[in-house]
Amino acid sequence: MASHTDNGEYVEGMYVPFTSPSEVVNDLVNNHAKVSDMWLRGVVAASILLVLGIIGFVMNVVEGVSDRAVWAYYALMFSFILTTASAAPMVAIATRMANAHWRRPISRVAELWSAAGLFSLLLFIPMLWILPPLNDGRRSLWFYDVNDAFFSRVPIYSPHIWMSAAILALVALGVVLLWLSAMPDLALMREHSTGWRQKWAARLSKGWIGSTGQWNMLHHRMGIVGAFYFMMLVFVHFLVSTDFLMVLVPGWIDSLYPLTHAANSLQAGVATVILTMFFLRKFGGYEDYITLDQFWALSKLLFALSLLWFWFWFSSFNVFWYGKKPSEQAVLGYLMTGAYQPAFMAGFVLSFLTPMWFMMWNRVRKSFWGPAVMSVSVLVGTFFDKLRYYVPAWSVNDVGIVQKIGEPGAAHELALDNLPKVNMPGVADVFIVLGVIGGAVLFYLLASRLIPPINIWEQKELVLYKFHKAYHRTEVMVLGKPR
Amino acid sequence: MQDHVQLSQTKINDDLLAGVLGMPKWWLPTVVFLVLVIFTGLGAYGYELNKGLGVSGLNRPVFWGFYITNFVFWIGISHAGIMISAILRLTQAEWRRPVTRAAEVMTIFALMAALSNIMFHVGRPWRLFWVYPYDFSRGIFMNIRSPFVWDPSAVMTYLIGSSLFVYVALIPDIAVVRDKATGRFAPKIYGVLCLGWRGTPRQWRLQAIAGILLSALVLPVFVSVHSIVSWDFAVAIGVEGWHSTIFAPYFIIGAIHSGVSAVAMIMALAVWLWKLDKYLRPDHFDAIGRLLIVVALTWFFFFFVEWIFALYTLEGPELALREFQVFQAPNKWLFLAFLLTAFFIPVPMWMFKRVRRSPMLMFLSTILVNVGMWLERFLIIIPGLARRQPLSFDWGTYNPSIIEILIVLETFAFVALGMLLFAKFFPIIPIFDMKEGMEVREEIKIGRRVVPASIRETP
Amino acid sequence: MAKRSVLGLFTEDQVDEAGDAMEALASAGYTTNEYEVLTGTPYPEGTFGEAEPKHKLFRWPLTGAACGFIVGLLLTAGSQLAFPLVTGGKPILSIPPMAIIMYEGTMLGAIVFTIIGIILESRLPRIFMGAYDKRISDGYIGVTVTTEEDRIPRAEEVLKQAGAGDITRGWESN
Repeated sequence: MASHTDNGEYVEGMYVPFTSPSEVVNDLVNNHAKVSDMWLRGVVAASILLVLGIIGFVMNVVEGVSDRAVWAYYALMFSFILTTASAAPMVAIATRMANAHWRRPISRVAELWSAAGLFSLLLFIPMLWILPPLNDGRRSLWFYDVNDAFFSRVPIYSPHIWMSAAILALVALGVVLLWLSAMPDLALMREHSTGWRQKWAARLSKGWIGSTGQWNMLHHRMGIVGAFYFMMLVFVHFLVSTDFLMVLVPGWIDSLYPLTHAANSLQAGVATVILTMFFLRKFGGYEDYITLDQFWALSKLLFALSLLWFWFWFSSFNVFWYGKKPSEQAVLGYLMTGAYQPAFMAGFVLSFLTPMWFMMWNRVRKSFWGPAVMSVSVLVGTFFDKLRYYVPAWSVNDVGIVQKIGEPGAAHELALDNLPKVNMPGVADVFIVLGVIGGAVLFYLLASRLIPPINIWEQKELVLYKFHKAYHRTEVMVLGKPR
Repeated sequence: MQDHVQLSQTKINDDLLAGVLGMPKWWLPTVVFLVLVIFTGLGAYGYELNKGLGVSGLNRPVFWGFYITNFVFWIGISHAGIMISAILRLTQAEWRRPVTRAAEVMTIFALMAALSNIMFHVGRPWRLFWVYPYDFSRGIFMNIRSPFVWDPSAVMTYLIGSSLFVYVALIPDIAVVRDKATGRFAPKIYGVLCLGWRGTPRQWRLQAIAGILLSALVLPVFVSVHSIVSWDFAVAIGVEGWHSTIFAPYFIIGAIHSGVSAVAMIMALAVWLWKLDKYLRPDHFDAIGRLLIVVALTWFFFFFVEWIFALYTLEGPELALREFQVFQAPNKWLFLAFLLTAFFIPVPMWMFKRVRRSPMLMFLSTILVNVGMWLERFLIIIPGLARRQPLSFDWGTYNPSIIEILIVLETFAFVALGMLLFAKFFPIIPIFDMKEGMEVREEIKIGRRVVPASIRETP
Repeated sequence: MAKRSVLGLFTEDQVDEAGDAMEALASAGYTTNEYEVLTGTPYPEGTFGEAEPKHKLFRWPLTGAACGFIVGLLLTAGSQLAFPLVTGGKPILSIPPMAIIMYEGTMLGAIVFTIIGIILESRLPRIFMGAYDKRISDGYIGVTVTTEEDRIPRAEEVLKQAGAGDITRGWESN
């Protein structure tokens, strides 16, 4: 029987290099205390982009909220942040549930993206004014029918209520998860750091003494909050993809799409975490912690999710293509094969073909640059994929809609021969795209000053459970599984 | 695993080969009974072949009934085998060890049962070979644009892939049987079957790679098979309730739900029939129970989304169908039974650790799930066909005949018989996997606590 | 000169002795192709001091996938072009159905070729087993040497010195 004091030598690429908790603490706390040049440059760049975004937003506000087409790119970026930043914590939640030890260095890297969730909440507020109400005949998932006695009693802003509640809950859960996960490290900083960091760490970690009861409660709570975060994320994607997207396109009834939206967000979330990991390793001084193991494991996940991207897309496409219903052919023409075909092809190639072809090879998966480049491909592909859905959907006005006989004003299908024109981005739109990306990155960078990006207590925990030992004529690693 | 029993290699051999080298008392009577059920079913089929499909309950407009329901059901059951085996291998979950082979073998026999249902269902089975890709003497190829040609390509790929996967993983265990078997012919036959396996490091290394590589290759096939089966329904626009894009993942998650439940059933049976309680511990049942909770919740969410979008359009024919499915007899009783048995009884049960760790309670709850999932397929297929057309004079009903019932029972007996015969000739729990599990198991002492651990090779 | 084999049997607890035997055989001039260890369960790689087995398994799934892809393409495109009938309003060369069947063909090719590759790379089927003992399945460890007949006695001596229990030659009693 081995004892945890039987520690072996450090082996390249195998989780934590240090063999005692105090070494881990010293290294990580000291690293976090420094403000690096790269961090400052990142903050400045992100701030500039955010300012541009605000300018673009103001330019749109001047044009008013009555024309949805003006806000198409704004909606696109709201969805993009939801797809990338809000899904990133899932990497930490799912891997923690599966008890995978390789997640330990990167779980906080993923959870910190909940801070960008606060930014998405800010972005959501204007959407409440932009989204049209139900009593103009717009379809809703809440069965609102202006002629029906029962359904018309449901508040006409129902999508607004549901979506507000859902996104508030999602952001709150994300922040709570981040706080729970950071609590022991904040307590550590209460003891070890100085200045404003020490003050805030003390406030946020009040009462944490590291008793057995507290640790058990922490694991328990993190599990529950994580599970609810996942459910809320799926629900938010369901709401955004239907009430903020699908209902705007007459005749588009795709029961799979909410789940496609959620699954694509998992892929984008993993890509976001891989890219963040890459930057933290290269510029953050965390090479000893973020090793090949993390990249290898996440790249396998990214590969699988890229294959799933194709499966979800093809499931929808095949049913539409085969059935040859005029309404569905019109939707395919509008969103995929018509004016937005370049965006679709970019999404298809960058989100599926490129990751599939390159990540098939173990040499690409088991490297630093491979997964990082593929993540950029996936993120750009996700952007174009969202573009080809949101921009046309928000650009549908009265032009090109088949009126149903006997129901004046009720629009139920797109006219295949007269689809709305393409909505090219203007200056304001480009500013908004850049601004939203800058804003999310800014929120992340600022949050990382208070909360260390590497989860210190999980690294210390690993030292208990992982060591190397000689096994006859070879050396093996022993990994404990406490739960 | 927290409760673990460390056993020697000889003990493992003796325990896991007891069913192969000996014959439990219950085995022969059970096999005889199952053969009788199968013959009865095949006799019923012979009658149908002779008299025509009119002896079944199929008629306009309900052209698809029990046989197709059964087909989809068995395709669904077949999914769990590879899912459990492949996904648990890829994630290196230790609790998979005793469960993989039984799951994979169930896949193979379930697929065969599913294919036989197609034969029972078509009006002119002597033309079934027309799906084969050649055109001599017929003057035409099969129509590859039809989902009914995608089906055989997918199912045959899955069947061949799973069978070969089982065989390759079985080779080391066949070698053990070769070494332990007595008699004139048995050692020679097993010797030929194991291709001369000796247990060199090269062979073991390739076994390990085979497990991972084949898992990675078979998983995409597994996803595609039930998607393709679901597209038999989803691509059709003529039947209400079928033309929904969510069918592919919905069917797959339903398949995983029913299949993993079937694996849990088999685990309980293995504990009782072959006395394998040292290998299938309460921890294994607990793990599969927790997996089932996640799968069941996901399935229910897909079911909910499918319904929401069906109602979303507020179109007359779709609403008429849903009303027929939920509020009119006999469907309303079947619908209620389906909801209760597939979700609302088992899932709350599985929330309790005591239930999850009990083979008996897991067995009962998973039987309920499979009853419910069979009903689910029935409720997707038959009510939709009964309400195909908007004009009500064309609406029909469906009453299954005794022929169909006997044939459905035959498929269950076939799968059970297949598994029993397999367990007689080959070990149903992988021997080398269990031995490896014992070998790589370690314990770490932290203060007064002993934490289970496993050994991993360093790269 | 004909090749013969000899097996030295070690008990389950004699893992290190079996490793010593392998080292002693190497020192006595036997090449790594001539001796190997036989076990009834997979041990972590390198337990007996053996080198990592080199294999080229990854050629097989790629070749198989390529073959399957081509067969799928020829079958689907060929059958549609051979009898160009419009069914269901679909074009003569309908890409989505072709993609489905080509995908299944690719995966089938990859799987079948992988299986063949695994069997062949495992150096199976092995028609002549050589020296083998059934007790290996019970946990015993066998160190076997396959070499010219005149070098066998020296191998037996090395195995005996390393601590092997039973020493049997290929084709002798089993």
